[in-house]
Amino acid sequence: MRAPLAAMLHLSLLCAGLLLSALACAAQYVKYVTIPAASFRTALPPDGKSASAATSTFRMRAMPVTNGEYQSFVRQHVEWRRGQVAALFADAGYLRPWAANDAFGPHLHAGQPVTHVSWFAADAYCRSEGARLPTWYEWELVAAADEQRKDARDDARWRERMLRWYSRPSTEKLAAVGKTAKNLYGVYDMHGLVWEWVEDFTGIMVSTDNREQGDPDLRKFCGAGAIAVGDRENYAVQMRLALLSSLQAAYTTGNLGFRCVRETREKAS
Amino acid sequence: MFVRALVVVMVAMVAMLTLAACGKKGDGSTDSVSGVSDTGGSAKGDFGPPQGEPIKAVLTSPPNVPPPTLRDKPAKVIVDLEVREIEQEISEGVRYTFWTFGGTVPGSFIRVRQGDTVEFHLKNHPDSKMPHNIDLHGVTGPGGGAASTFTAPGHESQFTFKALNQGLYVYHCATAPVGMHVANGMYGLILVEPPEGMSKVDHEYYVMQGDFYTTGKYREKGVQPFDMEKAIDEHPTYVVFNGAEGALTGDKALKAKVGETVRMYVGNGGPNLISSFHVIGEIFDKVWFEGGTRFQENVQTTLIPAGGSAIGEFRIEVPGTYILVDHSITRAFNKGAIAMLKADGPENKAIYSGKEVDAVYLAERAASNLAAVSQATKSAEAGTLTLNEQIKAGEALYAGTCSVCHQSNGEGLPGVFPPLAKSDYLLADPKRAIGAVVKGLSGKVTVNGKEYNSVMPPMAQLNDDEVANIVTYALNSWGNKGAAVSAADVKKVRAQASVASKPSE
Amino acid sequence: MTRQRGFNAVVALLSCVISLLFGLADPAHSISAPLPPDSIYQLPVTLKDQDGKPRSMLSMRGQAQIITMIYTHCSYVCPMTIETLKAVDAQLAPDQKARLHRLLVSLDPKRDTVPVLKKMMDERQLDAKHWTLARPAPSDVRKLAAVLGIQYRQLANKEFNHSSALILLDAQGRVRARLIRLGQVDRDFVEAVKAVLGERPRP
Repeated sequence: MRAPLAAMLHLSLLCAGLLLSALACAAQYVKYVTIPAASFRTALPPDGKSASAATSTFRMRAMPVTNGEYQSFVRQHVEWRRGQVAALFADAGYLRPWAANDAFGPHLHAGQPVTHVSWFAADAYCRSEGARLPTWYEWELVAAADEQRKDARDDARWRERMLRWYSRPSTEKLAAVGKTAKNLYGVYDMHGLVWEWVEDFTGIMVSTDNREQGDPDLRKFCGAGAIAVGDRENYAVQMRLALLSSLQAAYTTGNLGFRCVRETREKAS
Repeated sequence: MFVRALVVVMVAMVAMLTLAACGKKGDGSTDSVSGVSDTGGSAKGDFGPPQGEPIKAVLTSPPNVPPPTLRDKPAKVIVDLEVREIEQEISEGVRYTFWTFGGTVPGSFIRVRQGDTVEFHLKNHPDSKMPHNIDLHGVTGPGGGAASTFTAPGHESQFTFKALNQGLYVYHCATAPVGMHVANGMYGLILVEPPEGMSKVDHEYYVMQGDFYTTGKYREKGVQPFDMEKAIDEHPTYVVFNGAEGALTGDKALKAKVGETVRMYVGNGGPNLISSFHVIGEIFDKVWFEGGTRFQENVQTTLIPAGGSAIGEFRIEVPGTYILVDHSITRAFNKGAIAMLKADGPENKAIYSGKEVDAVYLAERAASNLAAVSQATKSAEAGTLTLNEQIKAGEALYAGTCSVCHQSNGEGLPGVFPPLAKSDYLLADPKRAIGAVVKGLSGKVTVNGKEYNSVMPPMAQLNDDEVANIVTYALNSWGNKGAAVSAADVKKVRAQASVASKPSE
Repeated sequence: MTRQRGFNAVVALLSCVISLLFGLADPAHSISAPLPPDSIYQLPVTLKDQDGKPRSMLSMRGQAQIITMIYTHCSYVCPMTIETLKAVDAQLAPDQKARLHRLLVSLDPKRDTVPVLKKMMDERQLDAKHWTLARPAPSDVRKLAAVLGIQYRQLANKEFNHSSALILLDAQGRVRARLIRLGQVDRDFVEAVKAVLGERPRP
């Protein structure tokens, strides 16, 4: 009778092992959703006037990167730990609210979006996940959607809702990801949670005096120069552009996090 | 001899011309038509490099103004201004997220002298959500500084400018969307003193008007977000001085004493509305209109453009509370554009006496009634009141009081006011009629077979004699053949009325 | 046997010591001296120059240079970039000119292949001893622009909108000055160039 018992013991251990590894895999599973190729009206026309923007099919992270995920990243990649990173790649505010160089600590939650990260850090994280930062057009396309529509931007009431976030002071505790309404694509938190880095934020060449519109100093800028921002009634998008254009790649600040995108395996038609 | 005289005359002429030139203020030119000279503008505003040690500017929160610079040479002035986004009350129980320079709306007051070199540090608090910058209207250069001060949260920018023009200038944030940044309170004033400084006054105050746009209605409680549509349509919810309703009222009112001079540096941050600025009960002895160099005298109300300023000065002659308003008057009473200056000190009746007479004014109606009524009063006092006198007096009093509802022919209004003419209700019980006049009457009554359900208010303005005369008149008119009632009867009914109105003890 | 091994050990030790000493004598190339925290040479990017030779960021250490980003098919500003660099040169003494390098990096590596870069060198008669045209890998362009603080975006017509700063780097790869408006000689920039060239290499 002893042999079958031993066999059962081995079998149950094997099952337990499989279950644990499955759970471990689940913990590493990050949800990306497919965003089909599109042509759409943009606040930053590619011809500087009124042309539409175009994006190929890509996959976007359903939620911003969290404290928990970023903690795993810095534990595996020592060169991105606070205290190790060169000033060139992250300024003095890098992960400032974290309790330790590699731990966000008890007063922050694993589910909150990670903030106080620079563009270089965000880029490095995305690459570690086989991804990259979204371009402004990719981000803008997905942000235009609400729960029912691909493009809710002409709805004045929707625009007011988007503006609400800016009315709330920043000293409120940051909510966890995945709590604000899922939009039509299945992407959460495009509004109302944090600002997000984009890959080409240095291409948002609006004049720092935002009242100069389309009147560039041609010796400072090659090409069409500073871009006039369209969509002037959409204050929420204007504020996003203003914030992104105020940053440099090494900057970190509260309220600024990021998410990643991946290419699709299919070719764009 | 002649030649000597000529030389003397020529020397004298030259001397006079030179003196005349010295007497002119400023190095500017003289207008050939008006003969008025100007201060030369920015071309003459550069007094050379800064001298002495750099000075750290004293910034003040409203309604206070930094002291005069008392400088006579150009200096280097260092200004440190921090942007903070704060939630606070805009009206009692109504909270709003303001974006501020220096933690206040309006932002800190900056004071420098023409020709100063200003090293400007703009800091954006790390808790800010937004980037911010600053455009100072006193700066000559691109964007007024906005291009050089665009600052992300948790960072700092610096730029340097020379204040070439004297005047009182608005500063504000110019980050997109500019309307929203200004509407959230991002404005203040910078005074560039003329080289000789401003003349001395007893009080200098800092007041700034702004229009605010919330999704909720005026005084709707709770946290109110900014309303973009209302801002674009220029339909403000609040128009206030110094960032909130009541910011300068009650115990926060401005203060002065009789005999003192008050100077107000007044700005209008907008974002949209022009102000018609007026101090109720005072006249501006001087207004430096538009915050410029020349002043007008004896001004009641001065226009302050959005993104502009004015300086107003007056002397307090009598004590009292002086109300500052935007004289587009519904803004004052329905949107909050009211502030106060409380002045203490001795009265001066020769200048303002206060109320002298408070008497009854009976107008034309009174004139015709007076005769019969005063006759009846005299007779009643003498104890010789006759029925006729009562009827005549009652007739005079009935007109204009009772006739309004019961009509001069006593027929009332069918279904609304019961008749008195041939009224079975009236004639059945005259005492009850007295009660109606003195106590009022409400509820269902049937008069001459018809139902009435109205409210007759008590005629509290009539005394016993008057009630008696009116009821007597009614009882003896329009075919009524009733008796007379006396003042004593009325007194009795009145006593009953008070008794009846008290609950059982 | 032991003695042979001992002898080898001594030789190895001596050579280590000697190379270390040499290293210390020329600290700019020393492997022991770390890059300053704000040096852009910390960026792990390798460019390819007009001759197809790889140039890592790290290998640029040791000589002051002016770096900027251009694209060869630009018609307006990019020619001005070269003219402005030459104008700066005209303000320098011959030995200063010789010790300064000039690096133009392409924003558009897809079109600016090595032959295209070579063609531009020849057309503009740029001396390879003091000028380099180079291209990064396409995925490195944004990073390099980011450390230099250069803004750019590609438009629908394939042209580029970009800020046209000339950036002065010292021998350690730190940004020391920027010239942001082309076509005129910025006196402050020239002074900074002279100052940097006058500096001795420091650990």
